[in-house]
Amino acid sequence: MLVWFLPLFLILLLVGLPVFFALLFAPGFLLWLNGQERDIALLYRNVYQGMNSFPLMAIPFFMLAGEMMNRGGITLRLVEFSQALMGHLRGGLAHVNILSSILFAGLSGSAVADTSALGSMLIPAMEKNGYSRKFAAAVTAASSVIGPIIPPSGIMIIYAYVMGESVAALFLAGIVPGILIGAGLMLVVRLMADKYDLPKAERIVKADRTIGPVENLIARVLARINMAGVLYIIWALIGFAVTLPAINGWVLFVVFLLLSEGIFFRARKSMSEEARTVYKRAVVPLQTPIIILGGILGGVFTPTEAGAIAVAYAAVISLMLLKSMTIRDLPDVLRRAAMTSAVVLLLVGAAMAFKTVVSLSHTPETLAAFMLGLSDNPLTLLFLINLLLFIVGMFLDAGPAIIILGPILGPIFTDLGVDSIHFAIIMSVNLTVGLATPPMGLVLFVASSVSGERVETISKAILPFLAVEIAVIFLITYVPAISMTIPRLTGFAN
Amino acid sequence: QEFTIRATANSNENDEDYDGLIVFKDYVEAASNGAIEVELFIGTQLCSTGDECLQGVADGSIDVYISTSGGAASLFPYVQVLDLPYLMRDDRVAEHVMQGDFVRTMRDMALADSDNTIRLMTIGNTGGWRNFANTQRRIQNPEDMEGLKIRTVVAELPQELVTALGASPTPIPWPELFTSFQTGVVEGSKNGITDIMGMRFPDAGLQYVTLDRHAYMGALWFMSNETFMSMPEDMRRVVVDGFYALQQATFASPKRKSIDAYAEFVEGGGDLYVPTPEEAAAFAEAAQPVYTWFEENVEGGPEILGALREAVAEAEADIDASYEADLN
Amino acid sequence: MALGPGRNILNTLLAPLRILMTVNSAILSVGRALAWMALGLMVLIILYQVIMRYVFNSAPNWSEEAARFLMLWMTAFIAPSAYRWGGFVSIDMLLRMLPKVLASIGLLILLVISTIVLWTAVTLGYDHVFSFVGRGNSASLRIPLDLFGGERIRFQNNWMFSSLFVCVIMLFVINVELVLRTLVAMTMPDAKLPHDGAEMPVGAE
Ligand code: NA
Ligand code: NA
Repeated sequence: MLVWFLPLFLILLLVGLPVFFALLFAPGFLLWLNGQERDIALLYRNVYQGMNSFPLMAIPFFMLAGEMMNRGGITLRLVEFSQALMGHLRGGLAHVNILSSILFAGLSGSAVADTSALGSMLIPAMEKNGYSRKFAAAVTAASSVIGPIIPPSGIMIIYAYVMGESVAALFLAGIVPGILIGAGLMLVVRLMADKYDLPKAERIVKADRTIGPVENLIARVLARINMAGVLYIIWALIGFAVTLPAINGWVLFVVFLLLSEGIFFRARKSMSEEARTVYKRAVVPLQTPIIILGGILGGVFTPTEAGAIAVAYAAVISLMLLKSMTIRDLPDVLRRAAMTSAVVLLLVGAAMAFKTVVSLSHTPETLAAFMLGLSDNPLTLLFLINLLLFIVGMFLDAGPAIIILGPILGPIFTDLGVDSIHFAIIMSVNLTVGLATPPMGLVLFVASSVSGERVETISKAILPFLAVEIAVIFLITYVPAISMTIPRLTGFAN
Repeated sequence: QEFTIRATANSNENDEDYDGLIVFKDYVEAASNGAIEVELFIGTQLCSTGDECLQGVADGSIDVYISTSGGAASLFPYVQVLDLPYLMRDDRVAEHVMQGDFVRTMRDMALADSDNTIRLMTIGNTGGWRNFANTQRRIQNPEDMEGLKIRTVVAELPQELVTALGASPTPIPWPELFTSFQTGVVEGSKNGITDIMGMRFPDAGLQYVTLDRHAYMGALWFMSNETFMSMPEDMRRVVVDGFYALQQATFASPKRKSIDAYAEFVEGGGDLYVPTPEEAAAFAEAAQPVYTWFEENVEGGPEILGALREAVAEAEADIDASYEADLN
Repeated sequence: MALGPGRNILNTLLAPLRILMTVNSAILSVGRALAWMALGLMVLIILYQVIMRYVFNSAPNWSEEAARFLMLWMTAFIAPSAYRWGGFVSIDMLLRMLPKVLASIGLLILLVISTIVLWTAVTLGYDHVFSFVGRGNSASLRIPLDLFGGERIRFQNNWMFSSLFVCVIMLFVINVELVLRTLVAMTMPDAKLPHDGAEMPVGAE
């Protein structure tokens, strides 16, 4: 009897009731029909308790950090940086769009923020450059799903919260899958560029970009330290394969620093003055992901605190270093972040309440038994589960879907020997891609409102990109090393 | 069936709470000849914090709930008496105390404070005893604690204790604790061995455990008073006996589980240290400020601490008398 | 015509609706101001926590709970604005495909469902706040009156519980406004209603 709340929920959703109300009305109504009035109080209390969580606080923080980077002109710098790197390729601006999404993903945890920030900048630019508007909107929407896959990620914060996983481990596990999706999308653009003769773009949009002396100095120093860090990581990776001589860390660092100087010295000859400026202007913003991940890995702060640190960093660079924002912009930035966070938090609460009634109806046990009855081969089940998640993702946002389905599906697969972090990534990536699938693809709506193109039109244009994203989902599913290597190397998974 | 008891525990199926519930369910359903059905909800399916779950017990949407002392502390602050260090010398004393009038005193206090809605049925164990564990060094004396960042829950008593011993209490959410050990955000914690091994903390560097047994991890089993009292007396007897069986199971289960946990810890290179009687006395001495703090700051504190001390004295006298009879 | 008497009732409703909308606009703008301040304060508190722990090796025990307190109130203060401005995610494809009159009737039915949800939430919220659990004390939050020679006062649970209660009350009021606005739009498409000048688009996730 009680289980009828599931179809009722779906119907309410399809006829257009806001998800928040549908999540509460469907189970509440059936409890009432069932004479279980006292259990309706459980619904209310779970909405409250569902929101009352410290780890969830990372969501408003990263939302705010992203909002500040947009306002402070940091997003623009990332786009220019991407253009200097990839604008000369055929299909240049489409590549730039994708690369910008990858870079932006390291600062922001939300696909919607990615779509609206990059879309408002790149869709008009692409149109002017000769792309069709629907293609520009489709590339933007398809690549924006990288946002919550590469850390930080609101969706993974929610997953970790409901499943009791470590946020840090999920963040680390998302890096390679996110880059892989980006690479896959670039491959599609490459193929289409040949077929449809997509235009190239200028490497540099505006030649009059300048950089202040202080920032110039900071950028040069940071770039060298970053390069030394990259060399150190390469060294450490070699160390996993062969035994390297034991060298004092500081000596190594100085050697790498000198080496970096050499690399930059060679590189500057092959670069125009404008390109160098554009690259330098991206250095300070690109420290954000390094600070976030470095701080978490180095034990300076927890993922939630990393969110506050990211806000502080964004505030310091845009208020003091770049002076691209003033104190008087802060209320509006805070207000926007608060508003989007509030909507997400209420949704999380309502989904937690919904989950309670899922438990009361004993759906998890039924579903687990049903699935294990279909097959007990994890590989087959993973295939089926990806299909299920993909369909769910067509109708439901990633956050609520994870809250409702995670606790049902997770244990089935961990019992079958699938690593819980690997499963978390399968589920998160699949449902994140769902943000760009019709009919209930949130980023499609945003892309539509940013570009002025109809959702239905974008939905068609996005299909080739979705195809490659689905392929990547299966790749991630059947090659655990893609997600697990980084968390294992850093000791965050075993 | 005529009655349904909806029981929930926020732990998982590997926990002794679950062992206890299985015993309870089996006993009650059989002894009531099917008149009572026990429905189990393990994990945070229905509610996720002490306050929220106890609210459910109070309004009858949850019938049975097991809370730790920390989880019930905001509503019944005096239950933290179980977190006071070094009051009960061993399991035998603790189990004697938890089967006596001490629990009835606490039940009366909780009924009075909850407008007669929440009934304490019994106190079992969950996870054995709390010990200090850390990633840095062997702790033999209170001085060795100096400066260590020890993870505690967000509650005053454990923080007072950690401070009294010279360490600094650091609140970290449980799921982030592994990472926090690994990265050094915190350097120690106060947990039972099964939790330490269950969360693989030694892999994150937690290699030193000092068996100081500073707190008995009491499991407070609450029941909706209305649900209980609405049953006829013979059914109430079945339920009470069910909780007796549950209590016995939760006394035994952690002992069985900790054998493997300790073995695994030592095998993995962990350092397990048992303080000498002198060292134990030094810990007890250093912890004195916590008792004063408890009596001054916790509502009902002096009353419940008195009741516990009395019960402990009684238990020790009883047990010592048994030794007299058994040893010779 | 059947709509005649309904129109008259609505006509008399027009003035109160205008007042309701103006009052709502004012309340919500105060709510938004409190919400952004709460978010800013959350950031500062957590930064303080990191600095105290990492630099001074002494983590404050109240910061986490204080930040959660603020997060709940931030949500309560600003979510009603989001609802009013269409920020609650929904699939509106079906409604957009229907002819205008049918779409309005559909929308009204959906709003009635929302009303039921919110009214139930208001009554449950009242029970939640005034329950004995609501009278329980916070683990770590105090009003530090001892700094001024007084006694420290513990935060009560219901100071935090009230956030969702206040939130659903305000959502309910907004919902009433939306119902009336839909009725007015159906029957008197050219009636002038006050406009909330602060309105901005809201997205999620
Ligand atoms: Na991201
Ligand atoms: Na993009």
